[in-house]
Amino acid sequence: MEHYDVAIIGGGSAGLAALKQLSNLNKQAILIEAGKKAGSKNISGGILYSKKPKHGKTFNVEDVYPEFLQDTPVERRITQYMLHATSRDKVFTMNLTAAHEYQANFGYSVLLNKLNGWFAKQASESAERQGGGIVSGVHVRSLNWQNEKTVIETDEIEPFEAKAVIAADGVNSELAEMTGARAKFTPEQLYQGVKVIVKLPEEIIEQRFGIGPDEGAAHLFAGDVTLNHIGGGFLYTNLDTLSVGAVYHYDSLMERPSEPYTLVNALIKNPLVAEFIKDQVAVKEEIDKNLPKEEQLRTRFAVSKLIKTWNELRDSYHSRAARKKLIESGKYKSEEEIRARLDYVQNELATKYYTKFVTDYVELEYGAKLVPDGKRCAMKKPYYKNILFVGDAAGRGIFIGPRIEGLNVGIDDGVRAANAVARAIDRNNFSTQFMGESYSQSIEESPYTRDMKEIDKDYLKIFLDAAKDVPKDIIGQRYGMVFRLMSSGTLRGLAVGFANILGYDKLLPLVESEDTYVQVPIELAEKTGRQVQATYEPTIPTIAQRIAQLKYDDDRVSHIKVLNPKSEFMKKMVTLCPTLCYSMEGGDVTLQHEACIECGSCAKETEWRHPRGEKGVIYQYG
Amino acid sequence: MTSTTTKDLNVAVIVKLEPDFSEGNVSYNADGTLNRAETKSILGPHSAIASNAAFYAKVKYGARVAVGTMGPPIAESALQQAQLLCDADELHLYSDRLFAGADTLATAEVLKAGVSKVEGDGKVDIVFSGHRASDGETGQTGPQTAWKLGYTFLGHVIDYNVDLQSRFVRAKRLISLQGFYDILEEVEAPLPVFISIDPSYKAFFNTVSQRLAFEKYQKEARSRAENYKQFLKVLNTQQLGIDPKLVGLPGSPTIVYKVERIPKAKASRKSEVIDGANRDQLTRVAANMYEVLGGMVIK
Repeated sequence: MEHYDVAIIGGGSAGLAALKQLSNLNKQAILIEAGKKAGSKNISGGILYSKKPKHGKTFNVEDVYPEFLQDTPVERRITQYMLHATSRDKVFTMNLTAAHEYQANFGYSVLLNKLNGWFAKQASESAERQGGGIVSGVHVRSLNWQNEKTVIETDEIEPFEAKAVIAADGVNSELAEMTGARAKFTPEQLYQGVKVIVKLPEEIIEQRFGIGPDEGAAHLFAGDVTLNHIGGGFLYTNLDTLSVGAVYHYDSLMERPSEPYTLVNALIKNPLVAEFIKDQVAVKEEIDKNLPKEEQLRTRFAVSKLIKTWNELRDSYHSRAARKKLIESGKYKSEEEIRARLDYVQNELATKYYTKFVTDYVELEYGAKLVPDGKRCAMKKPYYKNILFVGDAAGRGIFIGPRIEGLNVGIDDGVRAANAVARAIDRNNFSTQFMGESYSQSIEESPYTRDMKEIDKDYLKIFLDAAKDVPKDIIGQRYGMVFRLMSSGTLRGLAVGFANILGYDKLLPLVESEDTYVQVPIELAEKTGRQVQATYEPTIPTIAQRIAQLKYDDDRVSHIKVLNPKSEFMKKMVTLCPTLCYSMEGGDVTLQHEACIECGSCAKETEWRHPRGEKGVIYQYG
Repeated sequence: MTSTTTKDLNVAVIVKLEPDFSEGNVSYNADGTLNRAETKSILGPHSAIASNAAFYAKVKYGARVAVGTMGPPIAESALQQAQLLCDADELHLYSDRLFAGADTLATAEVLKAGVSKVEGDGKVDIVFSGHRASDGETGQTGPQTAWKLGYTFLGHVIDYNVDLQSRFVRAKRLISLQGFYDILEEVEAPLPVFISIDPSYKAFFNTVSQRLAFEKYQKEARSRAENYKQFLKVLNTQQLGIDPKLVGLPGSPTIVYKVERIPKAKASRKSEVIDGANRDQLTRVAANMYEVLGGMVIK
């Protein structure tokens, strides 16, 4: 059997940070990833922050990866952060940029396939120098302990031994489940997020959102777009795509189930969002069936090829870098020449093949994820024997109103776990008392842990300042007293102090309610919102079309087993599975796993495993 | 240029640049023939599988890998793509106007000569080829090259292992009997051998250290393929030392008289479009299925 000092299970942002940090400390470590490559199973909202808290230190992405700021494997630096209250065609907007910038070095919009791919490249290069590296396409099946060493068994390769294990296997952590380190998360502890990637050329994004080449915008939505659930929508600008999604308290969805895609659809139908995402789209004309078969085939190929050319050329034309590259390559002499070629192709399509060019929007990828609500489910002692839990696997993330942070927390955890393991290697002591406790203590010291437990009164002030334009009469009836109390610095300090003694769990039902997420925003929009009109009706793909667009490596056997096909929970899965894998047959809930995107929405009452190595969904954007 | 591999095993792959038949990339002329000028060319899919098989030898045995192809200068791109797959240490392009119009036999003559030019006096232990080309579909070039080299030929190989001590190769061959069922045949042969890789071949590495080696060589392959010209040797008839009468059109006994479209067989099935929202139509489908299945219960 092969032996290694450290095995990290899971190649998301947290696991990769642990691998990089261990390599930075000259320790040998291997990382086992079930996906075909790191990043192919990951999806996030998402914004990656780097923080500079007043008290304590966070380990930021650029601390672990010195090349980060130079390579910037990210999308856009978010420079505008807006919150919209919506009701039909009315929108009331608050500028939360100051809250977004609070104690932050930066916040970048990211796509996890690219970002984690870059992290993996950096981490594996460092790890290889220490005799370690990343092993992808391998799914860990079980752990056993022999003479204080952990024997790791997988579905794909021969078992091997490790002295320490870092569990970075995500919100549906199998390591947590098989060791019993923590119970499965309950709907009260989770959010369900659904996201679509929308295609939009680079400079059109900049014009539309009023941002420069190195800038980005984030827009959050509450009100009627929530379809009365507790949560909201988001839209982030990437380099040449948009991330548009909906994140809801899972218990709120459980109470009154809506198909998750309908929540994204509701957001897309909102006139403000519809206008944000619109683009020029080529629509193929039906081929004349009376033509000879060969002619039909030739036309089909010709149109496909021309549309592909038109799309590529158009994207390049609207991208500073791509345009420059085309001219430098000698293919085109000037921007005008690219424009002329683009017009020619478009004209060719329109006149020869009757292709129509309409205003609509284009989706590239549909995805979903469960998000652990750190303030409700962060593990108190994130270890078990010689296993340290990090990131989503440990239930850690910060979600307070418009403050949404998961990636940076995972990276911070990964570094802290790596540091604890490195010390354990130096002392050759992998015991719970030494390694586990020192990690747990380090996690306690993390500013992020404090943010999961307490209200930060300075952050609250910034948020309240942003809300100063909110007419007092609307919130007057409900929160007038609270607002008055919070407007004074001294009283706010006292009130927050009192609230923190009372505990987050006592306060949350007041702060996170249908009232704050749905009713107040609707009222705000109705009474004071500006009117926004959509110039077209977006053609929203069906869920079947969205699934068809995803890439899978199908597994014959299902990675999920239904335990009780008659339970109330499972019946709700018929509605709540983002890719509709469940259906009712007779009185039983049955599963067809092929379209599963491994979010874990059904995990609580199923035997839930990640698919075997390389199998299952392969995200292209993430 | 430093070689990271041992000389215990020398392998070579022969590959081909082929038209990309995927939609959006392929173009046809009005008469239905392939428009080669407008169609992108890529490393043939079977050549890619052969390259993967060679990469297996590199990861598992630290083999030295050479890749060769016959074609015009543009065929370099096939070599580059193959190098990306198998981290080749050496690339050969056999290019000469005299090679034009070659059939499989004339091509085999060039490839045989090419193998003998592989660094280290052409002592190649295993030559890999794809199953067939997607534009020619004859499946003859491989076996003919093996015959000319005098190597033991193993076709339809889906798995192989080498015993470096005894210098024997043990291979699994997937044999289809008249399309009815598949037989797995396990054969053993002394090196050198010529292996034609079956389309269903998939390399498999079953320890952590092999997987790490896989990642390492793959990374090396990426950086090598970026600078593939450093590894490239272009060889003509003279450099290969071949008799010009044996290559190109003069060396090709095959005469293509005429190519005809294969007539489409008349469909014996009747088809009907069913509207998924129409309950009556669906009921009828279910009733028909029930009848066909002889009343068997569908679960």
